[in-house]
Formats: sequence, C-alpha cells, structure tokens
Amino acid sequence: MFTEALLVSVQQPAVQQDVMGWIFQLIWILAFIVIWIYGQRIQTTLMLREIEGSLVRLKAMRDRGRQMVISAIKEIGKPNEDPTARVDRLLEHVDIEPVSLDPTGIIRRLEHIIDVRDFRLKDEVRQMAPQADETQINNLTNVLEAALALNQIYKIVRHYYLMGKKTLSFYIILQIQMILPLIMRESEAFASALRAFMLGQPIGDGAGALVAARLMYGREKRLIAQDTVVSEIDLEGRKAYVIKAKGPGGNVGKPGEAIKQIIEGEEGRIALTIIIDAAQKLEGEKPGEVAEGVGVAIGGPGVDKYKVEEIAAKYKVPLSAVLIKEGIEDVVSTMRKEIVDGVEEAIERVKRLIRENTKEGDTVIIAGIGNTIGIAQ
Amino acid sequence: MEEGGVRRAPIFFMAVIIVMLVMSLAALILALVAYLTQNTIEYMNVILSVSAIALSVYLLIQMRRKPPSLGFETLKVSTVIKCVKCNYESVREFERGDYVLKEVGSCPKCSGTLHIYSIFREVKEREKTY
Repeated sequence: MFTEALLVSVQQPAVQQDVMGWIFQLIWILAFIVIWIYGQRIQTTLMLREIEGSLVRLKAMRDRGRQMVISAIKEIGKPNEDPTARVDRLLEHVDIEPVSLDPTGIIRRLEHIIDVRDFRLKDEVRQMAPQADETQINNLTNVLEAALALNQIYKIVRHYYLMGKKTLSFYIILQIQMILPLIMRESEAFASALRAFMLGQPIGDGAGALVAARLMYGREKRLIAQDTVVSEIDLEGRKAYVIKAKGPGGNVGKPGEAIKQIIEGEEGRIALTIIIDAAQKLEGEKPGEVAEGVGVAIGGPGVDKYKVEEIAAKYKVPLSAVLIKEGIEDVVSTMRKEIVDGVEEAIERVKRLIRENTKEGDTVIIAGIGNTIGIAQ
Repeated sequence: MEEGGVRRAPIFFMAVIIVMLVMSLAALILALVAYLTQNTIEYMNVILSVSAIALSVYLLIQMRRKPPSLGFETLKVSTVIKCVKCNYESVREFERGDYVLKEVGSCPKCSGTLHIYSIFREVKEREKTY
C-alpha cells in the first residue's frame, strides 16, 4: 500500500510537488517564529519537567528512608507503641543557628546547640527503641539523621519547583536546575547511607577513625571527652596519644576537646599533632588517594577545628594533616576497598611524619577523625 | 516510582515524538520523490529529515530505558578476618553484627585470636586514561 502511494506520488504533477514544498517551508517558518517568541517559555517548561522528574525520585527516596527508619526502630528497639508519629515529628526537626550579629562566643554557643541537638535526638531514639543498646541507639540516630536530610532536601527542591511553577521565573527555575545533579548525588549518598547505618557497616567518613583504631588496637583506652577515647602507645620510639570516637556505634565524638585536654595536660610539650580525616576528592582523583598538609583536618560545623587551632596556636604545636580522598557519594556509604587501602597508606604516612619531624622520646598526638560506625577500638 | 521497572513515558512527549517521526518520514519521502521525478537531490530536506528521524528514535529509546537507581540497592559487602598472631586471612560476606576489630573466634592455624580486620564494598569502575 505504501509503495503504491509512493508511485502515485511520483507520478503527481510538478505543481502539486511545489505545493507540498511550500507547506513544508511554512511549517519551518512557523516553527522558527514559535521558538523565537516562546523560546524561553519552552525552555522553562522543559526545565520544570526535569526538576519534576528529580522531585519524584527525591520523594521516593524520602518515603523509602522514612519507612526504613520506622522498620529499623521496630526491629531493633521493639517499641511498645507504634513509632510512626514520633518519627514523622522528628523528620521535621530543625536546628536554629546561633545569632552571628555579635560573633563573640559564637563557637561556644554553637557547640551548646549541637550538644543539645545530639542529646535530644538520642533521647528520642532511646524512648522509641527501649530494647536497643548504646551502639544500636547511636546507629539508629544516624539512620534518623540520614532520613531527616533526605526529607529536608526533598522539601527544599519542592519549594523551588513550586515557586518556579507559580511565578514562571526563569531565574528561580534555573538556579535549582543548575545544581540539581549535585543535589541528586548527595541524596543518593544519603539513601545509600541509610542501609549502611542500619547494618552498622563502616562508612567512608570513618577512614580517619579506622587509622586510629588500627594504631590503638590491643592497648588500654580511656574516655577523654564525650564519646571519645584515647590510648597511649609507643610508636617509632615516641609516646603517642591516639584519639578516636568511641565505636562501634555511629559517633563522631569530640576530638577537638580531646586534643585540647591532652595539650593542656602536657603543658604544650607536644612535638607534633597529626590529624587524619577523609577529604572530598576532586573529580578525576582516585578514591583512597592519600595527601598530606598542614592545619586542622576536621570537618563539620567548625567547633572542634576552632578548639584545636586555638590551643595549638597558644602552645605553638605543629599541626599536620593526612587526608584520605573520597567522593561525596562515598562519604556516608559503606567504605570502599580503595579507602581501606588508603587507610594502610595513611598509617605509613603517619609513621613517616613522626620519624621525620620528631625525635625519639617526644610526645605526639594522632587523632583519627570521622564517624566511627562499624569500627571498634 | 517503582525501582528497577521500566519508566512510563508521558503521553504528551510520546505524541510529540511520534508527530516528529511522521513528519520527518514524510519529508524524506518528498525528497525521494523529488529525486525520482526531477532528478535533483534536496540535500537540506534529506539532512533535516534523517536527523529528525535519528533524534526521535533516540528519544523513544531513552523513554523506555530503565530509571536511574535510588541508591537503596543491596551492595555486596565483604568482611576480612585476620589472625593477630599468624598471617591467616579469610574473606566472607558481611553479616549483621560485624564490626572492625570484633573478635570472632580462634585461628585454625595457630589458635590465636581472629578479629575482623576490615569491612568494605568493591566498586567496579572503568579505567580512566586522563
């Protein structure tokens, strides 16, 4: 049938062919005019569609995360009542930063707010999961925090999407559309973190803690600050204080406070402080690569970093940093093999730094920073 | 949205793609007719219609592809167990309750303490040349 139509078409007179040609010309001109006039509107609609697609995925992640928190609490904590309403209330939890108009004492105020938040979240989890032990409470708190982050991300993206749709403002939509790939990567990392936290698996952020754990294994430990342990070891003929958060529950501890206490206790007679932490790699760098530097390699809101900088500057203690590189998607998901290999290299780097920068008999501090979930000591 | 399922294409976009496909096929036939009757090749028509056909086929395939993952997939996680005294080492799948430096029995070689040395997941990535 198609062949017949083609043959008929071939036998049509040239005038009819010209008419068809004109129709096509007209269609092209009309398309050009439409794009010229409504180009930005079409682009806006397409961008909104892209955001909508991502929003659907973010909602699925948020809902799945919420469900995982509820089922984890039910499974581990054996609560007497349904925790759903309480989880929903906690997922809407907000932290209000301290006022910065008068920056005097802001670190102390920020630390207080962080402490109150941590205490409140753990206390809520403890009440929801009465059968859970301390490690499980810490892990469940981490699960809850990951679900909370997914909820916040979803709500922020939805806010910009709806605002853009309402105002049809190209620039509001453009802002969110431009950073959408990064937001999605971060959300996928949190989604992946939920499973790791539920199962208590070590995460990429715990690379520093793993270095410290390997160094202090089999030695006596004591609690030096909240959720933070220290061990005195002999390393390369030097006395080394090794610090890490108390595991294997999900904790970051207070390494800043611990370092401050040790430096003050030794009255500043510390030959070197080495801080080992996971650091975000640049695109193209390999995960698990190790880099060295100077300064305080402690992430987070800055309270611990500030404390170490203050005390180190007061006593003129040299600060070295050993960084284990990883991508944003690896920070909160189960530790990759490359990062475990990076930990081995970081230990060798720490030993080399001590040999090259201190003398036998000196005292050094080695602090492994990061969430110690799935890593004991 | 169902994880792992095939994405359902929106009807509007599907209609636009089908219209584009039909129009580009028509344009290609016209170019063919012109060649058969007048022995002239309408290069512009041919290029535009072929690229429009390619674009619509590509969009149709894209619409039917599997959706990207949400990040909740179960990963293969390994637990490495080592003896603190000798060089005995074994690798098994991660079990709930495992954590690094957990003591997990005695060594079959030297009766020393076995502990979990590391827990990790393996990710296969393409080798980059830059």
